[in-house]
Formats: sequence, C-alpha cells, structure tokens
Amino acid sequence: MTTDSSTGAPPTTEVTAFPPTGAHPIVEAPPNSTVTSPPAAAALRPTGVTPPPAQSARSRTTERVIGALALVGTVATVWLGLWVTPPDAVQGDLVRLVYIHPGVAWVALYLAFGLAAVSSVLYLWPRTRALFWDRLAAAAVEVGVVFNVCTLVSGSIWGKPTWGVWWAWDARLTSTAVLLVLFLGYLALRRVPAEPEVRARRSAFVALFAAIDIPIVHFSVDWWNTLHQGATVLNPGLTLKIHGSMAWTLLLGFVALTLVFVWMLLVRYRVGVLEDWLASNELDLALAERQSEGTDPDGASPSSRVGVA
Amino acid sequence: MWRDAALVAGKDLRIEGRSRVALSQVAPFGVVALALFAFALGPDRDVMAKGAPGLFWVAVLFCTVLAVQRSVSVESADGARDGLRLSGIDPSGLFLGKLAGVAAQLVVLEALLAAGVVLLYGARIEVPWLIVVSCLLGTIGLAATGTLYGALSAGLRVRETLLPFLLLPIVAPVLLAGTRIWQAAMAGGTPATGTQWLRLLVVFDVVYVAVGILLFGPIQETA
Amino acid sequence: MRYIIAGYVVVLAVLFFYAVSLVWRRRRLARAVARVAGAGAPLPTPVAPGGGS
Repeated sequence: MTTDSSTGAPPTTEVTAFPPTGAHPIVEAPPNSTVTSPPAAAALRPTGVTPPPAQSARSRTTERVIGALALVGTVATVWLGLWVTPPDAVQGDLVRLVYIHPGVAWVALYLAFGLAAVSSVLYLWPRTRALFWDRLAAAAVEVGVVFNVCTLVSGSIWGKPTWGVWWAWDARLTSTAVLLVLFLGYLALRRVPAEPEVRARRSAFVALFAAIDIPIVHFSVDWWNTLHQGATVLNPGLTLKIHGSMAWTLLLGFVALTLVFVWMLLVRYRVGVLEDWLASNELDLALAERQSEGTDPDGASPSSRVGVA
Repeated sequence: MWRDAALVAGKDLRIEGRSRVALSQVAPFGVVALALFAFALGPDRDVMAKGAPGLFWVAVLFCTVLAVQRSVSVESADGARDGLRLSGIDPSGLFLGKLAGVAAQLVVLEALLAAGVVLLYGARIEVPWLIVVSCLLGTIGLAATGTLYGALSAGLRVRETLLPFLLLPIVAPVLLAGTRIWQAAMAGGTPATGTQWLRLLVVFDVVYVAVGILLFGPIQETA
Repeated sequence: MRYIIAGYVVVLAVLFFYAVSLVWRRRRLARAVARVAGAGAPLPTPVAPGGGS
C-alpha cells in the first residue's frame, strides 16, 4: 500500500496513522516493502524530521578564508599599531588606539546596526520576506553587541588619559550606549519562545523602531549638549593629522575588523540555523521515539502492516 | 478610522472609570516616586528645585510604563484581543484609540505630579503655557511609543520586565526635551530654548504616531 | 601607554572569547543535530497499528 508521503494524505483503510499529528507523515516506506528488510530500514527515518541543513563546501571554504584573513589582518594591525607606527605629535602614544577604536565603532554602529535594520525591513516587506533575513538580522545584532561593547570600552579607556574622564555625555557616546541597550532589548525579545515567523516579525519591528529612534536620540543629545549653558563641548573626534604609515595602519584596522565581523556573522548565522532546526525537530523526534516505545517489546511485528500517516 | 479610535478610547476610559486603577494605584505610585526622589536628593531645597524638571519627567516615565502595561493587560482577559481583531476595527483606529486612552490617563497623572513638584520641591514656574504644551506633546509621544511596544510585547509572559526595558531607551528624547523645556519655563530659564525643544517633541510625536498608524495592523498579527 | 595596552587587550580579548564561543556553539549544535537526525534511522520494529497515541 503506497501512500503519498509528500502531502501526508490520510492512509488507506488498512493502515493506521500512528502519531496523532496527522499533518506530516512520520514514517515513510518504499512502496510494497516489508518494513523489516534492512534496505528499507533506512527509509524509516522519521520524515517529520526534515534533513538537517547542510553547509556547502564552498561556504565553509569562504568562511575559512575570511577567518584567516581576519586573523592575519588583526595581528598585523596590532603589531603596526603598537610598535611600528610613530607616536603622534599631540597625543603621543595615546593615539595608538585610533587603529582600533574607530574600526570597532564603524562595525558596531554602521555595519552591524545598518545590516540589522536593512535585513529587518527586508523581512517585513512582503515581497522579500524570508527567514534568511531574520536570521541574518539576529546574527548581525548579536555580533553588533559585542563590537558595541568594544567600542564603549575602548572609547572609555581612550577618554580617560585624553580628556580626563571615563565617560562623557556627548552625542556619539550616548547614542552608542542607547544603541547597546536597544540591541540588548532585541536579543531579550528573541529569547522568548515563539514560532519562528512570529519571533521574526516581532524582532524585525523592534529593530525597525530602534533604527528610527537612534537618529532622534543622537540629534537630541547633540542639541542637549550644545544648547546647555556653560557646557564644555568635548570633541571626541580630535583632529588628528594622519599620514604615512599611520594612515595605512588605520585603513588596515578598518579592513581587518570588518573581516572579523563578517566571519563572526557567518558563524553566528550558521549557529542560528542549527538552533532553529533543533528547536523545530526535537519535538517531532521525541514524539517518534516515544511512539516507537509503545510497540511490541520483543520486536515481533504484525507482518506487513505499515504505520503510515 | 477616527470613529474606531473614539470607540476604543471610550472603552478603555470607561474601564478605567469603573476600575480606577490609574487613579488608585498609578497616581499614588507617582507621588511615592516623588517622595523617594526627595529623600535621595537630600533636604537642600535648591538642589530639589533645580532637579524638579528632570524628576518630574522621570516620574512621568515610570507612570507611563504602568499605564501602558495596564492598557495592554486590559485586552488579555477573555481573548479580548482576538475579539478586537475579529470585530473588524481598523487597526490604525485601534492604535489611535489606545493611544488616546493612555494619553488621557497620563495627562491627569501629569497634572497631579506637576502640582506635587511645585509643592514638594518648591519649583517656581514662570511660563506656564510652555509647561502645559510640553506635557501635552510629551504625553502624545509617550503614549504612541508605549502603545506600539505594548502591542509588540502583548501576550508575552515576560512582558512586565521586558516592556520597560524596550520602551524607556526609545523615549529618551522625550525625557531630554521635556526636562529642557521645563527648565526653560522655570525661574531663571530662557523660554526661547524651550520653544526650540518643542519642535523636537513635535517631530518625535509625528514620527511615532505615523509609524503607529501605518504599522499597527501588521504588529497586531504578531501578538 | 598602559591605557593603550589595556585598550588593545580588552578589545582583542572580547573579540577572541566571543569568536571561541561561537565556534564552540556551532560544534555543539552540529553534534546535537547529528544525534537528532541520525537517531531517526532504523527503528527496531515497525509501528503497531491501532496504537493510537
């Protein structure tokens, strides 16, 4: 007795659907086979469990290459930044953080955040809706949080000897901090268990609202500082004369950190795909295993009956 | 859309009128918050008067969170949310209606808190119209963002802790603007600065009300 | 100069540990996926009819 396993059509009268979930067939068997034959046994893989997503060899290679380049670039930046490049005329050795801090800031504030916002919009837009965008946004946000923390910490550490304070409420720093909180809110919301599509929509809206809000926050804080009577306006973007080896190292820093972000994004995306697959399939598999426990313990089977949904 | 908004707002306010949650719980909470601020800042009246604008708005933010939570939880009983969707009410109207309900409650609370601030902190208001306008505009912004995030987090069991965390960073500009405007309206402030910040509030309000009107339908479907 | 070293160390450490955690997570998940998918293969007995739930 054959069944149309692709549509999960109801079984014929001689077989019984064995899991109550009639939506998808739990077991598929090649037509006309007795189920105990070994070749057919492989086909008894519960098909409610869809095959796990495979990562193509090419994407694996790309990831390795990017990772290697990122590592090399970062090491080179550190070496050049800390030893090879000369100290600045004004800031002295303190300028060396310029090879790291603007780089992580660019990644966190523009690359990661921008990607998350764009992906979220693409997910919400009906014509381009696909869980790919949602997972990409989630990966971008999580990696973005890491870079954001790096930005705040490196900025703070740079600020202490340069301006004398660990923190200043200027527009850029404050917006970065607000962005971090908004990102953390996004991640917290994602942790709430829900159907992938529901979770994706919710997260996408939160990302969209964050994208709308950050410019407003930046602008308000900027105004807040400049209009306040007697405020000392700190200039975080201290004009540095960057030339020669410093310029090249700065560029290298940007490139290397961007590559680090891309590599992390790829791996994090893969983690998301695997997590989602596990979440949606563990239940089906547990059901299947539980059902199979209910069969005849000594293995005898009513011959050619096949339980198919 | 407007008729639906009026319907929903009327419903929410009638529920409030009968249960009096905002009046009997949120308002006292606001006053308690003011008292706590006073304890925290010490008995120096100068410090308190200087800090009055900021403290007022922080208290308002706390009350906003409570009011929004209440507005959302009103729908969660008896499947009222599904009922609302099935009833064919225009989602934009639903958004505006809930916004109006929350805003109305907030305005009353703000009046109470403003009186509290004047009395308890010795704040001296020179330009009352600035105060009033800033409160109205700020309320609209708070109610709009609150309703949006309330809808996003409706039905989640972690809503109580998640909503404040999501909402408060978003409304930071309202806090900034509101405080600045109040400072401008107090003795020793420059009213001109206040009017500039009013413009920011207007932009904020326009943006979030527009977003709500446009997107509330799709957002409802995530609940 | 100590500040600079501290800055570099912190940033690099954070990035490094996050990268390690990502790789570890992926490895752990891939193993779990293999277990879940592989365990689906040969059921020892066919399912009994009329087993209901």
